[in-house]
Amino acid sequence: MKNFKYFRPKNLDELLAIKNELKEEARLLAGGSNLLVYIKEGSLKSGTLVDIGSLAALKGIREKDGYLEIGAAETIIDIMASPVVSEKLPFLRESLRVFANPLIRNISTVAGNIAEGSPIADTAPLLLVLNSEVVAASITGRRNIPIDDFFISLGKTEIKANEVIITIRIPIPETGRGKFVKLGLRKGTSCSVVSVAVWLIANGRGVEDIRIALGGVAPLPLRAVKTEALFRGKILNEHNIGELALEVTNEITPITDVRGGAAYRSEVSAALLSKAVRECLGMEE
Amino acid sequence: MELYEVDLMVNNRAVSARIKAETTLLDFLRENNFIEVKRGCSKGDCGACTVIIDGRPVPSCMTLALQCPGKKIYTVKSLGSWDKLHPLQQAFVDHEAVQCGFCTPGMLMTAKAFLSDQPHPSREEIREAISGNLCRCTGYQKIVDAIESVGKGGEYE
Repeated sequence: MKNFKYFRPKNLDELLAIKNELKEEARLLAGGSNLLVYIKEGSLKSGTLVDIGSLAALKGIREKDGYLEIGAAETIIDIMASPVVSEKLPFLRESLRVFANPLIRNISTVAGNIAEGSPIADTAPLLLVLNSEVVAASITGRRNIPIDDFFISLGKTEIKANEVIITIRIPIPETGRGKFVKLGLRKGTSCSVVSVAVWLIANGRGVEDIRIALGGVAPLPLRAVKTEALFRGKILNEHNIGELALEVTNEITPITDVRGGAAYRSEVSAALLSKAVRECLGMEE
Repeated sequence: MELYEVDLMVNNRAVSARIKAETTLLDFLRENNFIEVKRGCSKGDCGACTVIIDGRPVPSCMTLALQCPGKKIYTVKSLGSWDKLHPLQQAFVDHEAVQCGFCTPGMLMTAKAFLSDQPHPSREEIREAISGNLCRCTGYQKIVDAIESVGKGGEYE
């Protein structure tokens, strides 16, 4: 028997108070595209549905101190439509075009996408290569969590039971170019088999710096730091991009599931990484 | 079990009910006789239950009814009537974009909101716009044809 309550906090204080009181029993509801599936499937049977979807304190997309700050309740579509995002970080807007499908983009949020600690959250590799921060709040205060520390284990994040994500902060890059590529079983509405995000700072074809992150190939969204180190300082050409990209298969641990085998995921990871790097360099459009 | 009073505006009509916290907008609508809203997967995958909320197409199975007070909700019946079909509905008829018809109410609402934003889209843009609405009959060609014809007509409000 399902037994849910509904609560819509009027301000941030009310939200933090109920989260502190109910802890995990307070189920935050923004877009609902995860939560309502759990209720429908019966894996979640009780709790208080805390509606933060229209909470003004969690809205807003702005530039502040060199960071892009995105309120936790901002929808994917509003982020894509934001003039600030278009001007300061078009990479984010372009990457979100492959998020779920147009209907889900109208309701889902970035905070909700990463809050579950899912290895296939499409925004996770983006936030990782952008060195983002997650701002968490509780009744005792706020703290900024570097995205590298955010994902703890499968389904678990750094967010404590009395905390809520209030803002995503992304440092606006001064140089470089990014590319996000995702392989799903279909074009729309499909979970990623593998996704790869790259942020590349290059001088011609020489790699000054590179950040690589992958989804769907480990229990967590992953920064491929060893592969990054191999790329750094190299002059890239038609041949060595593929060879370097292949190195990524040594630091991922993909599984076999309904969407693909482990060996397939490994091959695809290298191919997508190669493609992403080439696109950053304008070798492939 | 706790019940909640809710007043929603559906097709410019006030509709009230006492509902459970977890009642989706889809359940609310169907229980209040808006059965033109179709129940497909109930998990946000198929788009059959799409309605327009404040100008945007969303799957009504992924929205709680309690999240919707103060919002303007439109179902496919807001488009036209038997006597006077909406241009989009007429285009779906003219282009034979309907086979079993189950996806059609959601498809029309997605197309309606899309054309309001982007009155003259390309075929590729149309395909992208309806990529959250699954149709297992038509292969989409005729649906794209229908939406494209309305876009090309240039009379869309």
